[in-house]
Order: sequence, then structure tokens, then C-alpha cells
Amino acid sequence: MPILVIGLSHRTSPVEVREKFAFADAAIPAALAEIRSRGLAEEAAILSTCNRVEIYAATQTPEREALPALRRFLLERYTGDTEPELYGYSDPRSVEHLFAVASGLDSMVLGETEILGQLKKAYEVALQHRQTGPRLNKAFQKAFNVAKQLRTETNIQRGSVSVGSVAVELAQKIFSTLSDHQVMVIGAGETSEKTARALLSRGAHSIIVSNRSHERAVALAQELNGRAIHFDEWAQEFANIDIVISATSAPHYVIDRAKLEPLMKARKNRPLLLIDIAAPRDIDPAVNFLENVYLYNIDDLQALADDYLKQRETEAKRCHEIIREKARTLGLTTPQAAPGAGCHPCQT
Amino acid sequence: MLCYGGSVVYSVFLWRKGFRQHDFVNYALFAAGFVLHTVAMLTRGFDLNRCPVNNLYEAVTFVVWTIVAAYLGVGLWPKLRFLGAFAAPVVFALGVFALMPGLDPPHSGRPEFGGGLVSLHAALALLSYGAFGLSAVAGVMYLTQEHNLKFHKLRAVFSAMPPIDRLEKITSRLLWAGFILLTVGLAFSPALLREHPEPNVGHDPKVIWSALVWAIYLGLLVMHGRFAQTGRRFAWGAVGSFAFVVLTFWGVNLLSPAHRF
Repeated sequence: MPILVIGLSHRTSPVEVREKFAFADAAIPAALAEIRSRGLAEEAAILSTCNRVEIYAATQTPEREALPALRRFLLERYTGDTEPELYGYSDPRSVEHLFAVASGLDSMVLGETEILGQLKKAYEVALQHRQTGPRLNKAFQKAFNVAKQLRTETNIQRGSVSVGSVAVELAQKIFSTLSDHQVMVIGAGETSEKTARALLSRGAHSIIVSNRSHERAVALAQELNGRAIHFDEWAQEFANIDIVISATSAPHYVIDRAKLEPLMKARKNRPLLLIDIAAPRDIDPAVNFLENVYLYNIDDLQALADDYLKQRETEAKRCHEIIREKARTLGLTTPQAAPGAGCHPCQT
Repeated sequence: MLCYGGSVVYSVFLWRKGFRQHDFVNYALFAAGFVLHTVAMLTRGFDLNRCPVNNLYEAVTFVVWTIVAAYLGVGLWPKLRFLGAFAAPVVFALGVFALMPGLDPPHSGRPEFGGGLVSLHAALALLSYGAFGLSAVAGVMYLTQEHNLKFHKLRAVFSAMPPIDRLEKITSRLLWAGFILLTVGLAFSPALLREHPEPNVGHDPKVIWSALVWAIYLGLLVMHGRFAQTGRRFAWGAVGSFAFVVLTFWGVNLLSPAHRF
């Protein structure tokens, strides 16, 4: 009994189309029951996230009939004007696709782990409602194992691909623990807020927000459980600060070497991480020549994130090879499947 | 020596790879080398019926043994095992130096030093040099990681090396450990002089050198603790001070009538 998958994802369809196919959590058990009651498949599971909607099915029906039938089932829910682009795979491609999805290789952020949790949840819902059987049970269990193996044996999930998380990684290369260190946000913009949140989520001690508009500083400080100070007070607070995120719209440097040198003495030369995400820049690049000062601007952070992404892309090729090997050796694919078989664009 | 040599070769591989994996292999090589090294030292100690620190060969191998022992202790924390990659060249170079001909003359059959105080004095001083050696290794590791972070090198974030503030703490603690050992070791000197009076000991080059080394390390620790001389300067201080010890140790011993190995 072959395993089939049909659906759409961020790779094939924009969000306006994907959202029209999405299944609400509460509607999934009924949809699974319908698939079986209509004889579309003997076993089924539905994965519905913001980036993909997919039906995994095991059926005795030949794939030439089963895939169009499942496609029609999906299209019944669709109310859009544009023609949706669905993909459909059968063995062995369907199993490889499942493994790739579980491992984050098909995700928008390559190698992310959230999808594994979503896939586990989709499988548990199908299992609880007894819509799975030996074929899908085995395929999903193997997918979870392969995802774990790739996570531990390759660098696919290593490193950060967003500016905020690269900033966190840098902080962790300077400070043993973030819980002893206070963060100051100068200029309350969206990226500085995200970066501050990322630092807080990794345990940063507390946040001080300074902004030209004090009301905006107070609002952001409240959101981050921090403290707001007036813009001209930031230097006075500097003695206790170890990480600074600067994102003002000032046309000149807010922090320069002359200003920072005495502040570093007041801080007893403790290491200081400066993250300048403003354009034009807020922090004079010359401060990086001061001892124990580590300055990164938005381009530096983006370059690191891009390098991580390149590394992940290289690792992704290796992961796909492992997946192909696993799908072949785990006995999930049907013996009659010929090389190159199993790919069906499923377009009308 | 083969184990330590193997560790050097593996360390080159780790450097080239940018320290991306945890360093189990180096740790295992050091552990194997340490076991063999300990057995060799124990055998020699039992044969001589005293602590084997009577000539330059024994003194240097004792320092190497101390560095390796300290590394194995520090390396219980997995992220700190990369110290091995930096320690391996130092350990191997000292080991090769110790094997130079003429440094291990045959023993006379009678103890060169009388009494346990001498052994304790020498062992504590050499243990302190081992601790200073490993602190210098941690200092080099700090300088490497600090350079990578300053110049936005990719390997700064890709590597699995520990954060720089932890490296500074390790350097500082090893320096304190070495300083305390050296202080206690030197504190036995008056008692030793009562047992084995030496004329003009105040002008003995090794005595002056030891006092200088003690003062250098005291200065380094005071500057770090009281005057916020942290980070790169402190790391350079640890590296430079140990370089001074290593480069002058042999010559000073040759010049010293009271400490000649």
C-alpha cells in the first residue's frame, strides 16, 4: 500500500492561497473521517500550518486515481479565484518529502524545528482518532527518528539566520550567562525590539529603554517588563549595562569614542557588546578599537546570518542524501517504485 | 610523548575546522598520555625513593604532568576541552625539550636532596609553573577568540569555544592557584636553609629569579583585581609571564649553585 502526499506550501503558493486551504484544528478529525468514509484512503493525517497544508495518505487505490481524488477533496474547500498549484507525490518521493518536512528541510527558515512539533501534533490527532494504520504509523515514527538523527549528526539546525538571534549568539560568545547582564535599548524601533526580546528570551537580566519620545520608551519598556529612561539619561545608566542595542534615527553618532572611553572606565572595563542596527549608524566604528568593546552593525549581523544560511544550504544537500538512503533502507517505499517515480505536479 | 604528539596533530585539524566540534579526542589523548606519564613518574619516584624532581628532565616533565593534570580537571566541563588544542603544542614542546640529551644524567645512587622538605619545595614550585602554564594556554585561547570577535570573524560564532569572560575567569583562577602554590613552595625556603645552609643565598640567581617571578605574578593579579586591567591585557600578561618563566628557567638553573639540576 503506497504512501501518498498532496498539498501546497510556501514554495508553491502565496499566503492568500494557503490560508484558503488551511484546516482549523477542530475541523481536522472530521476531515480525516471524511477522507476515509469516502474511500479516498485507508489511513490519513493532515498537516495544516501557516506555511503548508498537506494530506498524508496510505491507500490501496492506484496512485493515478488516488491522487486526483485527494486533489478534488482539497479543492472542494477552496474559494479563491486563482488556480492553486498543488503537488502530489507517491512512493518513494512521498516518504522522502515527509522526512524532509520533519527535518525542516522544506521550511521557509531552513532547518527550523517548529515544524517537527507541528508534524507530531498532526500525527497525534490522526492517531487519537484512529485514522492512521501500520503504514502511516511506521512512516511518521521513522520521520521523527530521521529528524532527530539529522539534528544531531549534521549542522542543519546550527546557527542563527535572523539578526536578533545572531545578536544573542554573539552575546553568548562574550558572556557566560546572560542572566547577570543588563540590556539597554537606545531608540525603540521594530528590529531593536525583536533583538531585545531575543536576548530576554535567553535570560538577559533586564531591559532599560531610552528613546527621544519618552512615551514610546515607556510603552516598549512595559511590553518588555523593563524600565524607561529619558534619552539624555542613557549615559548615566551605562555603568551597569553590558549589552547596548542602538536604533535611533539620529543623523549623527550617538555613541563615539570620546564619549565611550570614560564610560568604559566607570564600568571597570567589563566587556561591552554594542549592536548598532540604525541607518545611518548610531555608533562610531572607531569604538571597536577600544579594549573590551565589541561593536557589530546591521551589515555585520546580516553577514553572519547569511553565512549561517549558506552553511545550512550546504548541509541540506547532505541531509537529502541521508533521507534518500533512509527512505530506501527503512522499507517504507513500495518495491515496484522505479527510480524517478513518485512525482506528480498535480496541476489541472 | 606519542599521545601528546597525536594531540598536536589533532589540534591542527581542530584549528583548521574552526573548533566546531567538542574536543573528545584531544581529551582522550591527554588522558591516555597522563596515565602513562603518571606510571613513568611513579616508577622513577619509587626507584629513587623520592619525588622525581632532581634534574632538569624531571623538573620539566613534572611541569608537563601538572599542566596535563590541570587540563584534565578543567576539561571536565566539555566546552573547556578546547584548552587541549592550545595546551598540546606547549606540552609537546616542553616534552621534546626534556628529552634533549644531557638533561637527565644518571643518578649517583644517593639522594641529591636530603629530606622531604626539598621535594615538597621543588614539587610545589613546579606545580605552580604547571598552573601558570595552563593559565597561559587559557590566555592564548582568550586572545584567539577575542580577536575573532573584534574582527567579526565567522569562526567567532561558529566555534564551540567557551565565552571570553569564562576564559578570563579560568585564566585568573589558574593564576591564583599557581601563585598560592608558588608562595607556599617559596615559604619553605627559610626552613630549607636551616637544614642545608648555603652561603650567599641572597645573591643566588635562582632565588632572585623566583622572587621576581613571584612579584610578576603578584603584580598581574593585583592589576587585574584592583585596577581593572582585564581582557586582552590580562591575557597577554598571563602569556608573557609564562613565556618569561619558560625561556629563563634553564639558564637560571645553570647559573644557580644552590639549585643546579
